[in-house]
Amino acid sequence: MNTLVAIGAAIAVFGAIGAGLGIALATGKAVEAIARQPEASGKINTALILGCALAEATAIYCFVIALMIIVMLK
Amino acid sequence: MGDLAERLMEELECETVFTLPIRIPAIPQYADGIPIYESVVVTWIIMAVLILVSVLLTRNMRIDHISKRQALVELLVTKLTGLVEGMIGERGKSYVPWLTTVLLYIGVANMFGLFGFKSPTKDLNVTIALAAMSIILVEAAGIYHLGIRKWLHKFIEPVPVVAPINLMELVTRLLSLCMRLFGNVLGAFVIMEMIKIVVPVILPAV
Repeated sequence: MNTLVAIGAAIAVFGAIGAGLGIALATGKAVEAIARQPEASGKINTALILGCALAEATAIYCFVIALMIIVMLK
Repeated sequence: MGDLAERLMEELECETVFTLPIRIPAIPQYADGIPIYESVVVTWIIMAVLILVSVLLTRNMRIDHISKRQALVELLVTKLTGLVEGMIGERGKSYVPWLTTVLLYIGVANMFGLFGFKSPTKDLNVTIALAAMSIILVEAAGIYHLGIRKWLHKFIEPVPVVAPINLMELVTRLLSLCMRLFGNVLGAFVIMEMIKIVVPVILPAV
């Protein structure tokens, strides 16, 4: 039973791949944009931080669900 | 590792600090007094700290020949309001003070875990309350600026079939907001505990 719970939690954390890819793409594009237009870096930064916070939510859901699986099923 | 799981469970529960001697027999939880949880007490401490700091920093303000302290305060206030204003835009200017206050509170509350207190944002009730406040503010602002008919019309845009999904979005947004902050703070706590286990020499477990 314990092994299955651990495997379930591990599968739940797989969703964090999406958050990682999303933040990576957003940061890459932001760097490109800043390189093209350095004077707009302030606005780009604000949008990037906001977008990263939203994209991170996916990873945090994964974490919370994995923790719930471990805590509730034990 | 079993020790860690136990400690995590221990930290997830919010302890009752004291009980208000107001008995409400109609509600079973409050039959022998209203319990005051640790998160509420730590929030009071944060409020006291914030109020004290703001009172100390804003004494003897002058228009010309400003002191270093006043320059620092002005810099902080302009930076913070500028950050929030940049996100919300020119038309939402009247919501900037509230948002800045919430920003300050959440920032200090998350930081308070470092000083040996239990972060109030690690309690799910606090984050639910913050999220509910935000959702209510957003919807109230919608009613105030659009008028109630246009606001209601927003729910059946673009086609009336999507109305249940739009209604459900109210609840899912609340859940998303509260889970996000809670997960963030809890994740930071778990990682700090793990660092204490991995490198006990550099960071001795307290």
